[in-house]
Amino acid sequence: MSMEKHHGHSQKKKQKIHHRITKYLYEKDTLFATLWVFIFIVVLGSLPLNLGFLNPVKLNLKDFDFSDISYSKLSKDQAVPVDSNIVIINIANYDREGIAYLIEKTASYEPKVIGLDATFPGPKEPEKDSMLRNTIRKHKNLVLAVKYLTDSTNKIYPAENYFLEDSLSFGYVNFPHLLTETIRTYYPFRSDDKEKQLMLPSFTSAIIKKYKPELYDGLKKKKDKRTIINYTRRLSQTKAQYYKIEPEALLSDNVEPSLLKGKIVLLGYVNLDPNDIQDKKFTPMNEKYYGKTIPDMNGIVVHANILSMILEKNFVKKMPAWGNILLAVLICWLHMSLFIHYYIESHIWFHLAAKIAQVASAILFVWLGFYLYDRFRLKVDMKLSLLTIILAVDVIYFYEAWAIWMNKKFHYNTIFKPHHH
Amino acid sequence: MRTLIAVLILSFWMHRLPAQNQFLIYSLKGNVSAIENNKEEKVKVGKLLSATSTLKLDAGATVSLICNEVNLFTLSKPGNYQLSKFGDSCNVNRSSLSASYLKFVWAQLTKPSASVGSNRNAYMQTTGAVTRSLNDIWIDPRLDTINYCEGDFPLSWKCYSDAKEFDFMLFNSSNILEPFYTTSVKKLKISIPSFINRLKPGNTYYWIAAVKGGENEDRKVFNYVKKETYEQLLKKIKSQIKGYESPAEEAFRTAFMLEDAHYLAEAYQYYQKAASLDSANVLYRSTLMAFKKDYEIK
Repeated sequence: MSMEKHHGHSQKKKQKIHHRITKYLYEKDTLFATLWVFIFIVVLGSLPLNLGFLNPVKLNLKDFDFSDISYSKLSKDQAVPVDSNIVIINIANYDREGIAYLIEKTASYEPKVIGLDATFPGPKEPEKDSMLRNTIRKHKNLVLAVKYLTDSTNKIYPAENYFLEDSLSFGYVNFPHLLTETIRTYYPFRSDDKEKQLMLPSFTSAIIKKYKPELYDGLKKKKDKRTIINYTRRLSQTKAQYYKIEPEALLSDNVEPSLLKGKIVLLGYVNLDPNDIQDKKFTPMNEKYYGKTIPDMNGIVVHANILSMILEKNFVKKMPAWGNILLAVLICWLHMSLFIHYYIESHIWFHLAAKIAQVASAILFVWLGFYLYDRFRLKVDMKLSLLTIILAVDVIYFYEAWAIWMNKKFHYNTIFKPHHH
Repeated sequence: MRTLIAVLILSFWMHRLPAQNQFLIYSLKGNVSAIENNKEEKVKVGKLLSATSTLKLDAGATVSLICNEVNLFTLSKPGNYQLSKFGDSCNVNRSSLSASYLKFVWAQLTKPSASVGSNRNAYMQTTGAVTRSLNDIWIDPRLDTINYCEGDFPLSWKCYSDAKEFDFMLFNSSNILEPFYTTSVKKLKISIPSFINRLKPGNTYYWIAAVKGGENEDRKVFNYVKKETYEQLLKKIKSQIKGYESPAEEAFRTAFMLEDAHYLAEAYQYYQKAASLDSANVLYRSTLMAFKKDYEIK
């Protein structure tokens, strides 16, 4: 008897919660109030004024993305094993002669591809330049780094590599981000705006062409498509998810041949001292995911992460804009229904309930974003959804006034009563 | 049928057996060799070793290993190391994203908003991992373990009984049963310089305080650090900020980091320096007062 009573009680409680959300769900006012939230967002967003220039929160979060938290704080990369297909050799501060020696030594271990992540803008010392040029010409499995630039006629061309020749393989190392921005995306290929057949590969695409040509053809479909980099591995003083060899160890034959044979070997500058920011980029793996911080990852490790992503076919899919908007509409609609219930029926609890719902929903939906990203590599932008939850509370006040005015003027049918609050 | 069941059980058991750990030489410096199947061989970067191998490090050698392609750890003291004993370094934290997220949200919600330096006591929870024995004497866990190089600083304790006199004893790490130095004190503290000339820098000692004639097994660790070691640490601390830092700011940061590293006597000197260099700074003064109160410095 008492079990039945208890069961009945919890059933009633469930119905009550359900009732709170659904009672006003299909009301015209709920739908219109939801619509008004989006009108506000569009109107505020299209004002030709930079209203955020003095807003420290906005400035702090300018380069923020929710998925950064999953890299920096949720140990997303913790159990990811070393990528044994890729080995990084530190070129440290070696000059052109030193780099030539490093290439020769690396080549003697018979790697499948050698990627040299260093640009050489012009001539320096003739004898050392000749030495490096001869070495570069000799090794057909070497991929050089260039930067893509556009000339006065807007035609793209590879630049900043004095040793570049038509017969050599090369790829660009530029990222479509400012130096002060987080490197989140890259272009696998860039084509010329006018001559579409003129196409430059990225450094990593050129390496893949030599390492696994069958993957290269798939990459070609991503021409001019900004591709999200799925960072999976770090290289730091405490975490080594790529093999890194110091030049001294290589030159003194202190390396097991099996470590390099048949692999992708990347030659680039690596310094694990967090205070050394030479050739370091901001990445989503930065320990500090908002506000001012220092760059955290050497460019060569960013390229290694791109290569791992391609080799593991671990690309991130991005939810289309319409999907994000649809999700935001749905979330806003549900919240609006709950808020209107409290606004009309228990106004004394309205603000408390709204604040609790906002915090709980923020935590829940951010988790949902992480979950989809982690499980299905689907990137859903939750910013709009969270913004609608925040705005919904204020929009109710505006909507009430608007609905009552409409009621007086045009006999608009509304659940809000004059001088309700 | 019985054979089938036996095969099934065997395969299940084999599946449950933990895979043997594998260690890859990630980097090395100096002379490092591996003993495998009673055969000693110099190792190179990239060499894969099984858990049955033994690593031999000569003086000045350092080697970093990656276990099971995930965990990195470093060995730097000379000696022989059986890799089978490094099983803990192969454990991988595979906590779920949801659990990590909840922990993160909770940590953020309960995190004090002030900077670490502004609330020394809230941050300085770096005491030892163990609590040893129960008796009339209570020694603040922050005094176990301490590193000392120079300066005046007291070792203090609290007493739950009405005792008026206490025995202070020092032990060598080679014999922690018989004290090599015992003295009686009437206060609830003893100044380190009063016994330091009996100790040799670079060694670890243990100390206790007990009610006179009583016993206390609660040994506390005292590392008498060589001046070079301390100066190396100090140099590292001072080099950590590349931008401009005023002398008072530097002294305060140094003090805070020294205290975190359990160099209490040295931290005291730097807290004093910070407070005297910027006497108008309330944080520096209040931190110095709190530090003196915590460690019974009168």
